[in-house]
Amino acid sequence: MLSLSLPAPVRRYFDNWFESHNPPSRESILLHNRRLYILPTRFGYLFAVMLLFLFLAAINYLNSMAFMLTFMLTALAIVSLWQTHKNLLGVSVKLLVPRPVFCGEYCELKFELSHTNQSRRFAIGIQYAEQPPVYVKLEPQSSNTAVIKLPARRRGQFRPAGVTVFTRYPTGLFHAWGWLRFDLPLLVYPRPLKNARLQQSLIEQFDGQTSTSTIEGDDFAGLREHRVGESLRHVSWKAYAQGKGLLTKTFQGHARPSLWIDWQQLTHGSQEDKLSFMTALVLSAESEEQKYGLRLPNKVVEQGYGKVHKHQCLKALALFNQSDTAREFPLDGDS
Amino acid sequence: MAIANLPFRSISQEISSRGSVFAVCFCFLFAIAPHFFNLPLWVSGIVVFALAWRCLQNLGKLGALPKWLLIPMVVLGGVGVFAEYWTVVGRDAGLALLTVMTAFKFLESQRHRDLLILVFLCYFLIATHFLFSQSIPTAVMMFATLIVITATLITLNQREAQISIRQLLASSTRLLLLSMPLMLILFVLVPRVPGPLWGLTDEQRGGVTGLSDNMSPGKISNLIRSNEVAFRVEFEDELPAQNELYWRGPVMVNYSGYRWTQMPRKPLQRLVLSVSRPAVNYTVTLEPNGELWMLALDIPTRLVSDSVMTRDYQLINKKKINDLLRYSTESRLAYEIGVDESPEYLKIATAYPQQFNPKTIALGKSLAQRFDSNEAIIDEVLDIFRRDEFFYTLNPPALGKDNVDEFLFGTRRGFCEHYAGSFALLMRAAGIPARIVTGYQGGEYNSSGNYLIVRQSDAHAWTEVWLENRGWIRIDPTAAVSPNRIEQGIDNALADEVSSFRIQNRNPIFGNLLYRWDNLQHSWNDWVLNYDERKQRDFLGKLDIGIDNWSDMVIALVLLLAVVTGGFWLIAWYRELPPRPPAFEMQFERMLRKLRRRGLVKNPAEDSRAFLRRVATPELAQREQLARIIDLYNRIKYARDGDSAQARKQLRALIDSLQV
Repeated sequence: MLSLSLPAPVRRYFDNWFESHNPPSRESILLHNRRLYILPTRFGYLFAVMLLFLFLAAINYLNSMAFMLTFMLTALAIVSLWQTHKNLLGVSVKLLVPRPVFCGEYCELKFELSHTNQSRRFAIGIQYAEQPPVYVKLEPQSSNTAVIKLPARRRGQFRPAGVTVFTRYPTGLFHAWGWLRFDLPLLVYPRPLKNARLQQSLIEQFDGQTSTSTIEGDDFAGLREHRVGESLRHVSWKAYAQGKGLLTKTFQGHARPSLWIDWQQLTHGSQEDKLSFMTALVLSAESEEQKYGLRLPNKVVEQGYGKVHKHQCLKALALFNQSDTAREFPLDGDS
Repeated sequence: MAIANLPFRSISQEISSRGSVFAVCFCFLFAIAPHFFNLPLWVSGIVVFALAWRCLQNLGKLGALPKWLLIPMVVLGGVGVFAEYWTVVGRDAGLALLTVMTAFKFLESQRHRDLLILVFLCYFLIATHFLFSQSIPTAVMMFATLIVITATLITLNQREAQISIRQLLASSTRLLLLSMPLMLILFVLVPRVPGPLWGLTDEQRGGVTGLSDNMSPGKISNLIRSNEVAFRVEFEDELPAQNELYWRGPVMVNYSGYRWTQMPRKPLQRLVLSVSRPAVNYTVTLEPNGELWMLALDIPTRLVSDSVMTRDYQLINKKKINDLLRYSTESRLAYEIGVDESPEYLKIATAYPQQFNPKTIALGKSLAQRFDSNEAIIDEVLDIFRRDEFFYTLNPPALGKDNVDEFLFGTRRGFCEHYAGSFALLMRAAGIPARIVTGYQGGEYNSSGNYLIVRQSDAHAWTEVWLENRGWIRIDPTAAVSPNRIEQGIDNALADEVSSFRIQNRNPIFGNLLYRWDNLQHSWNDWVLNYDERKQRDFLGKLDIGIDNWSDMVIALVLLLAVVTGGFWLIAWYRELPPRPPAFEMQFERMLRKLRRRGLVKNPAEDSRAFLRRVATPELAQREQLARIIDLYNRIKYARDGDSAQARKQLRALIDSLQV
């Protein structure tokens, strides 16, 4: 609220100050004195006005107990100043490595809050930008997670904006907060196009390719001479018992059809449509256990399969034509 | 965008939760309940109605009260208060108005913000209790109320943490106990201003028992049944004898045939007296009596500030005594006074209406003829009281129009006001100027605090007659009938009729506790309730720490608050922050920072030896030194007796000399 009314240079000054005093981190951030700020809330100011009225009434009626009440409440405000501060002091906050999501899903930011001492912490809020805050409490020497769900509206790689960890506990007269930035990328894959089929025209089929025999694989392929250094787990003890010497079992993988998902083959639709379609193809190829590769105008991912390979392809699609990978995670679709 | 995360965003627009509405309702009920007898019944009715409606609404049994109905109700509430008191300011009307408006606020409170405001109003309500009573039990009750209100405030800020009620109360008590030392500092050191800031309506405080400005049969005997403390007295020296403890209050000169009243007060022009004994010095702590008069031992010879002495030697305060009043003065117990009394005054002091009490008047006139000296007449009347069958009783029969006649010649059973009233009338009929003095007689000595307690039950009335060349002389006709009353106090004189309020008549263990309790109340009055500008100056002066003016107090206040709060804060840092890593780890960090400047960065996953292997290439000039440092570091960290002061010193020296 106040921030809106501040003139731009002042805002910039504060922003710079905050940025320089709160460097981003990949690991957990300890909220110590130098990272914690505290100011009265609007109710804190209202409370102060009430105290002033009480004080005037006490003077006017020369009422000692009214003085005492005024001072008691003043003392309560002072005590809640450091109690509120204390409620955050020594809490460590860590952003768990976020999992990539598809555009249109929710990106989950999981924060782990922990502390190591004997006190209990209540009503610690975590707020990402203008999103509604999430509250957690901490038992003595324990940790707890707070999950903030952000709608992923655009593909790409982003850095998370600063999060505010704050508390108003116990009395709500003061607002103590720390401003934390985490240096972990949020990756949003393009939205997969629905009902996309693998079209033959897009696929360059390679025939008759079988993988070589290895000691890993699905189907038994035969026995060969044992080599020094190979794990004894793969030795065929049955053959050894038959007096054939040390032989190693070999296996062969499935002969997978292999294909290329190629940007050039797509003729219709906008860039984003094409990326969506290609994303769908990657997912479909992966689920049909095909061997696939990706050809983008500026990048080629060689053929392969498996989780890591899928991630590489999707990441390439997500980052396509995205020059600035350090943008903040956008909360409104168009910005 | 960092600044967008500053705390000014409102989280108070949220709709309040069910539990917090109940909590605030209970909190208000708790805070307002002790006011039940201070409020008109209809105001209590509104409170019950509003709370009941809000609770039912909270349960979903009722809708919110429509706005078009609420606004006229608020207006009607205001009008109702005005109709009740003919004002909306002042203590009683102000309280009623605050209560009515708070109750209506409940009906329109939907949001979190409204509930917080209601909690603040409850805090404010506590102050209103102190306008009615500032006693220790009230203070204790209000501390309990503070705990409940603060617990409610916490529950409004707990944010789904689901803290149990017991824990809420415990946290709230803890917060308040932590506030205590700061409160004491503020209480002692915040400079007191001589108030009031603006004119107070000098309203009559109802329900105060005490002496009245007129006397008629039955008036004082009502007071006797109250054990409330009227005032407490600390004597500087010896305590005077019990039969000398006449505490002078309102003096009645005008007589209507039934009722004795005071004359318009006129200040005494000059005090002429001759004394034969040294002055008695003492300090009175007078409980609020809602009137102007102060009590002093007969006869006060020193004025108190802000008071005047009337021409019948009463001490009168300049404003109504609605708060505890403490004053020091001196009195003479043996004196000769008013020898030069003005003839006009003496004329009033011998006047009486002819149409009432004919028998008494006739008796008075006949006495004047039978005896030639006034002293003889007085002795004769006292003799009549002693000789004839007069009884001293708290429950005399009711008297009619000629009340003195009926008493003297009929019932002969009466209380001090009967004896004083009939004696004074007889004197006037015999031509001797006489007047009634009301006040207190006696008191109970509290040895645990070395002071005298005077209760309402010690109320008394006696007479003063004026004799040529001798001035005003105190005659107590009650002493003639019941010497015990004066020698040993009201409880012994009327042992069958009143249950004793005196602590000395209780069982010794219990009595001792009561004495201590009264002593506590006295100290409370003296140190807490009476802590004003003067007391503050005296106290700080006695401490002798060089705080003697306004600015010193403020400086001391700020310093002390800073020290205590800073202490709290340091303890919090010490307890809440995880322990700092040992010194050698800090040294190791320092070395890593040095190397980072060279572009040699240790991965978090790498241990120190792996790091060394990676960076200690033949090109690195400090290779040897780095190896020694890391070796020493590992020895300190892991070897059984590797951690010694010497090793640490060596480590620091090595890192100091590391040039990159």
